[in-house]
Amino acid sequence: MFDHGQPSYADVNKDILSTMLETGPRYWMLLGTSMSVAGIFFFMPWIYQLFVGVGAAGMNRNAVWGTYLSNFIFWIGLSHSGTLLSAVLHLTNSPWRKAIYRSAEAMTLFSLMTAALFVMVHVGRVWFVHWSFPIPNQMGLWPNFRSPLMFDVMAITTYLTASSIFIYMGSVPDFAAVRDASTGLRRRLYTIFSFGWRGTAREWHTLGWAYTFFAIFVVPLAVSVHSIVSWDFALSAVPGFHHTIFAPYFVCGAIYSGTAGIVTVMYCLRRFLNFEKYIGQVHLDSLGKLLITLSLIWSYINILELFSTWYGGTSFEVEALMFRLTGFYAPLYWEMILFCAFVPLLMLFKKIRWSWNKMLVISVLINIGMLTERFIIVATSQPRKFLPDAFGYYVPSFVEISITIGSFAIFTTLFLIFIKWVPAISIYEVKETLKPLRRDA
Amino acid sequence: MAIMGTFMYEEDFISAAENLKSSGFDNISLLSPLPLEEAQEVLGLGKSPVRRFALAGAIIGAISGFAMAAGTALVFILPTGGRAIITIPPYLIITYEMTILFGVLFTLLGFHFVSGLPAWRDKPYLPSANIDRFVVVVEGAEADQVARAEAIIRDAGADEIRHVEVDE
Repeated sequence: MFDHGQPSYADVNKDILSTMLETGPRYWMLLGTSMSVAGIFFFMPWIYQLFVGVGAAGMNRNAVWGTYLSNFIFWIGLSHSGTLLSAVLHLTNSPWRKAIYRSAEAMTLFSLMTAALFVMVHVGRVWFVHWSFPIPNQMGLWPNFRSPLMFDVMAITTYLTASSIFIYMGSVPDFAAVRDASTGLRRRLYTIFSFGWRGTAREWHTLGWAYTFFAIFVVPLAVSVHSIVSWDFALSAVPGFHHTIFAPYFVCGAIYSGTAGIVTVMYCLRRFLNFEKYIGQVHLDSLGKLLITLSLIWSYINILELFSTWYGGTSFEVEALMFRLTGFYAPLYWEMILFCAFVPLLMLFKKIRWSWNKMLVISVLINIGMLTERFIIVATSQPRKFLPDAFGYYVPSFVEISITIGSFAIFTTLFLIFIKWVPAISIYEVKETLKPLRRDA
Repeated sequence: MAIMGTFMYEEDFISAAENLKSSGFDNISLLSPLPLEEAQEVLGLGKSPVRRFALAGAIIGAISGFAMAAGTALVFILPTGGRAIITIPPYLIITYEMTILFGVLFTLLGFHFVSGLPAWRDKPYLPSANIDRFVVVVEGAEADQVARAEAIIRDAGADEIRHVEVDE
């Protein structure tokens, strides 16, 4: 489990807490840069769009959904592996989960927040967004619960709530460790955050049970969230959207891109927070094997989508499919196939699976492919509806491209803030993986 | 007053807890930097009542989720293509999500209720119990029992024994 020998319990506290309590100029530079990029690329174009209207985006009459929604699906997808993987590995008692799950769960939370921002950008008049919640109001407005968009609101709100509680509860013992290691205002804050945790057997026992129940609730929830996102598309009659395979396709794709995201985040944690001692080869190898499996499932579902369209033979569906394979966006489609179906096969070689740099490149390529996949689903289906007079093209505007770039900066900013407030690796769970100190040793 | 015994080794800590328990000391707390099943067994902690909170939350969530969706349909009647006003398949999705939402919220409530957190008053604690030490705390010992508790803790191999005042 540990590449550089087993640390002591005190080392674990010291190593992990030092990343929170000691902040160098490199951190501030990174945070400043990401905040600036978020402000310039995300918020400024958004404000511009709020003034001039959603016409600032490249969406048109044939393509009423564009990059904002494809990005929304991408970020929801990226959120999937964190909490889901953490919960599944907790229930199956996998020890390699313990060093990586906290950051993976944080990834879930911040991806969800970024995804929610895209909904706000997409709807245009963001000040009416609360109308989509079942809040009593004097206008007699109430959401229609038959709509898949309302399923989305309920699912994502529940997922955000459950993920926040899941990560918070797992962090309570570590907040107590921060409390004990700090002074002044920080100590007072963490006294509140840790609820007066002492680490008694009863507290551990209750936390263990509660955490297991959170995990039990979170697994079906995570599966439902991306299934529901897929129904935003599949429950319409648009060629290219209307597939029964969409729910498992979206869930598989979400876990796939989320797992690749975890590899990227783990690389950064090792590189910038010096966690080489805790995030080792065993984690990379396990994540690599998981990625290969997911890549094969994803490829299978893609082949199945092509086959069912060809076998069904509906002219509208075949037309939309041919447009996807050979039309305006064909280069993007084949780029997606290359990055998500072929490049991951390199991980079959142990030499590649064991190299952090190569795995970083593969994980980034997979997520570029997955971002493209979501774009293709949205951009090649809606402008290809039934009759040629409804045919058109969708090309993202500068505002949309800028907001897409800015969203990565928002995610980075949130993550950088997170690592200074919450231990990026679970202190007590890492201790569980250590051999206990024995008198006779 | 409480007696606190600090241990370096997990095995000594468990042994002290077992001996204290078998000698009739019931009001003991076992502090450790990580969850220890043996410590929970010594205290006889079996299935946690948290599971009842989870179940109750899930049931309440399911009922309220369906009631919200069906109630909305009845108040704002929206006939669509001759279909039923209360349409079961889409409402089951709302029910499913609300089941999980309330299940999670009630589990959180159960955690706080059962663990007694947030702690509103100071209790015997050593910060080293959150790093690398195991601490046995005996609370509410009578004057004649203090020496016996100390002896048990010392015999088990405690590094340090101290007495602390406890807020009543």
